[in-house]
Amino acid sequence: MPEPLLLGLDLRASYRLRLGEVKAVDGVDIEIPRDSIVGLAGESGCGKSTLINVLLANIRPPLVLKSGRILLDGLEILGISREEVRKKVWGVKVSIVPQSALNALNPTKRIIELVKDAIRQHTPASDQEIISLCKRRFEELNLPFDSVYKYPHELSGGMRQRVIIAISTLLNPRLLVVDEPTSALDVSTQKQVLKMMVDMKKEGIIDSILFVTHELPVLRQVASHIYIMYAGKIVEYGPADSVFFRPLHPYTKALMYSVMTPEPESRARGLVTIPGEPPSLLMPPQGCRFHPRCPYVMDVCKKSEPRLVPLSDERGVACFLHHGESVN
Amino acid sequence: MLSGISKLIKPELFMIKKFDASLGVLFAVFALGFIGPLLYQVQPTAVAGPLEAPPSRQFPLGTDAYGKDVLAQLIAGVRGSLQIGATAAAISLLIGVIVGLIAGYKGKLVDNLLMMLTDIVLLLPSILLMILIAAYFKWRDPLLVSIIIGVTSWPWVARAVRSQTLSLKNREFVNLSKMAGLSDFQIVIRDILPNIASYIFMAYVLLMSGAMIAETGLSMIGLGTTQGLTLGNILFWAQVLEAVRRGLWWWFIPPGATLVALAASLLMLATALDEYFNPKLRGS
Amino acid sequence: MLEVRNVSKVFTVGLFSRHRIEAVKNVSMSVRKGEIVSLVGESGSGKTTLCRIILRLLEPTSGSVIYDSVDVTKLKGKKLKWYWSRVHGVFQDPYAAFHPFYRVERILYQGFNLLPRLDEGEKKRRVYEALKSVGLKPEEVLGKYPHELSGGMRQRVAIARCFILNPELIVADEPVSMLDASTRIGIIKLFSDLRDRFDSSVIFVTHDLGLAYVVSDRVLIMYKGVIVEEGDPVEVMERPSHMYTRRLREDVPLLYRKWEGF
Repeated sequence: MPEPLLLGLDLRASYRLRLGEVKAVDGVDIEIPRDSIVGLAGESGCGKSTLINVLLANIRPPLVLKSGRILLDGLEILGISREEVRKKVWGVKVSIVPQSALNALNPTKRIIELVKDAIRQHTPASDQEIISLCKRRFEELNLPFDSVYKYPHELSGGMRQRVIIAISTLLNPRLLVVDEPTSALDVSTQKQVLKMMVDMKKEGIIDSILFVTHELPVLRQVASHIYIMYAGKIVEYGPADSVFFRPLHPYTKALMYSVMTPEPESRARGLVTIPGEPPSLLMPPQGCRFHPRCPYVMDVCKKSEPRLVPLSDERGVACFLHHGESVN
Repeated sequence: MLSGISKLIKPELFMIKKFDASLGVLFAVFALGFIGPLLYQVQPTAVAGPLEAPPSRQFPLGTDAYGKDVLAQLIAGVRGSLQIGATAAAISLLIGVIVGLIAGYKGKLVDNLLMMLTDIVLLLPSILLMILIAAYFKWRDPLLVSIIIGVTSWPWVARAVRSQTLSLKNREFVNLSKMAGLSDFQIVIRDILPNIASYIFMAYVLLMSGAMIAETGLSMIGLGTTQGLTLGNILFWAQVLEAVRRGLWWWFIPPGATLVALAASLLMLATALDEYFNPKLRGS
Repeated sequence: MLEVRNVSKVFTVGLFSRHRIEAVKNVSMSVRKGEIVSLVGESGSGKTTLCRIILRLLEPTSGSVIYDSVDVTKLKGKKLKWYWSRVHGVFQDPYAAFHPFYRVERILYQGFNLLPRLDEGEKKRRVYEALKSVGLKPEEVLGKYPHELSGGMRQRVAIARCFILNPELIVADEPVSMLDASTRIGIIKLFSDLRDRFDSSVIFVTHDLGLAYVVSDRVLIMYKGVIVEEGDPVEVMERPSHMYTRRLREDVPLLYRKWEGF
């Protein structure tokens, strides 16, 4: 098996709050193969944003890393200094387009100034070099180059998002992490932004994408692999089609049932509800964290916590219903 | 609702250094004005000793040109100034909040008319207006002075309350109250007012600081209160009798410094409250 | 049952250069008894403005809204209260719908203002019942402040008001767009419960074509202030007649079909 682009093992990270410890990432193993788009699906408060921060080695109080190793493109990125991470990892090996990217840009600077600041974190390139780098990339991606001389507010939402993606990948990082990149956009713009990201991967500007969202239909369109996260843990993973159409974990099934798309299959399914709400990470339930909402709950689920067990080379699930099975 | 408002005050407020410092100064000045008379029982208006005596054991802050005790005057003056400041600020606040709420919530013609009125009062040089009103009355008790200051200094409160009301009146909780058939009055009082309570509190502090300075301004030109003492009053007599030229520093520095300390600590209190209520202002 | 006739709404912005924005342009639509209708449009389509006009929270620039053969845009006082007891709204943001200073049941007790006088015991009984109808345990909700409840629970409380009023028509403006996937369906289900129990009609105002398609009897597609297409959801998705609907259908991510070229 080829070496994955990113391998994270036994990742645990908590927020230390006055009220107690919030175990936002609680024993996560994750693998991002080369040449893949990995979807990380989960609802708000499940720990996916924290997981992103851990994967980026962006750990600052009150977030504390408890354990884990991350190998990103041959480099161990946890346990090295923040300075080193900034120099050797961010922008070079991995870039992130944050959820609030639309508003994250400094409104008083032209985009080209932001690009210069970002690039000079890594190389002492001249203005001319940076501009020509930008120009080439914008041409490749069919983006209007004159937009780099504008202020962020002068661009439409979709254009801003595409420009942000283009400039955050100028140094060809191997991995691009996007957090709900399209949730504020209308569907047509969303499709354009998705298309651009997929094309960037095809052209080799980036190797892989980690796509974090709660919108399963979007993942269905772009992702090759899926991880499902619930209450700080990965409950299921596998190739996208397999997870979508043969979900094993009851939570994955519930998520699938809650998708409403304008398709006959969705309408025929009707409204299938799951009781309850995701638990607070401050006081997660004993045993399997999904058991209070699970229609298949057994005695064992209330007492012990199911491990994430691989069922085949590619699939795994953390559910007692499926332990001891194997799936091909 | 009260328990809701009391929730606004949390221990974090006391972590803001500016808040603690300004509260400390205010407390000291208030103590001077209200506890002072109990500890230092000298008649501020009585001739107590020699004329223009410098500070001594008997007269901690000396005496003025009439032989009246300056410390006793200062104690009475602080109380007088605080009284006028508090009353004038309450009057401005009342007018400003009512005008702002009505203009913001009702909108349209009512808004236009009220804002026109506000602009007129805002644009008229308020000190001139105060002088005109004050000069008209021969006898001016502290309440009259408070009213004069109060009715001329509300416009900025009205403008700020109006803009806050405008942004609140289309919120969903207001819509829900509207759909439940609550009257405009009920909505303004129950839904909108509590949301600007923190702002009103801040405005009051600022108004009070402004009113005490305005009172001093009026007094210094001889149009202050004709009954009782204020800091402005003391300064007026010090000025008329050329205390500065003649080097009678104990006569004008204590009231001047007290006034500056009061006004500055109130301003600082307002900025501290602003930081507390709008955490974004607290440097990240 | 409710009919919107040639409604337009023009907003003027700016102090000096009176810039005009036509949010809703000559829109007509109707809702039948017991029907679930979805008004689908993206941000800026005018759907929320139309929804507020129907709820009598905004005045139209021209046109009328007819309910029970009365033009409700002109109603005042008692008549208006009557209208709001028959036609009620649920909003998008379960956080903004609650005043942070008051306990959550306030919005339920407010509802009694629209009904004939009831004694306190009866009010309390009805509040309990309404909370149970929306799947909440009254003792876990009553006396709480909004920040103590999750988004889904708050939205349930907001809907409980409709269970107290039993209106004939509920206008729900994006009622689930701020909620998580696994709690969404439960909320949508409550509206269909209301329809089943009281034969209420529902207008879903939403940007989510999927939601509209799955739950409604009829969809209206709104684009730039105009209703460009109307009909049975299956019909509209299979044979969209307007260019905009066609584009929507092509660009909405689906679950069972993949886009080409990705």
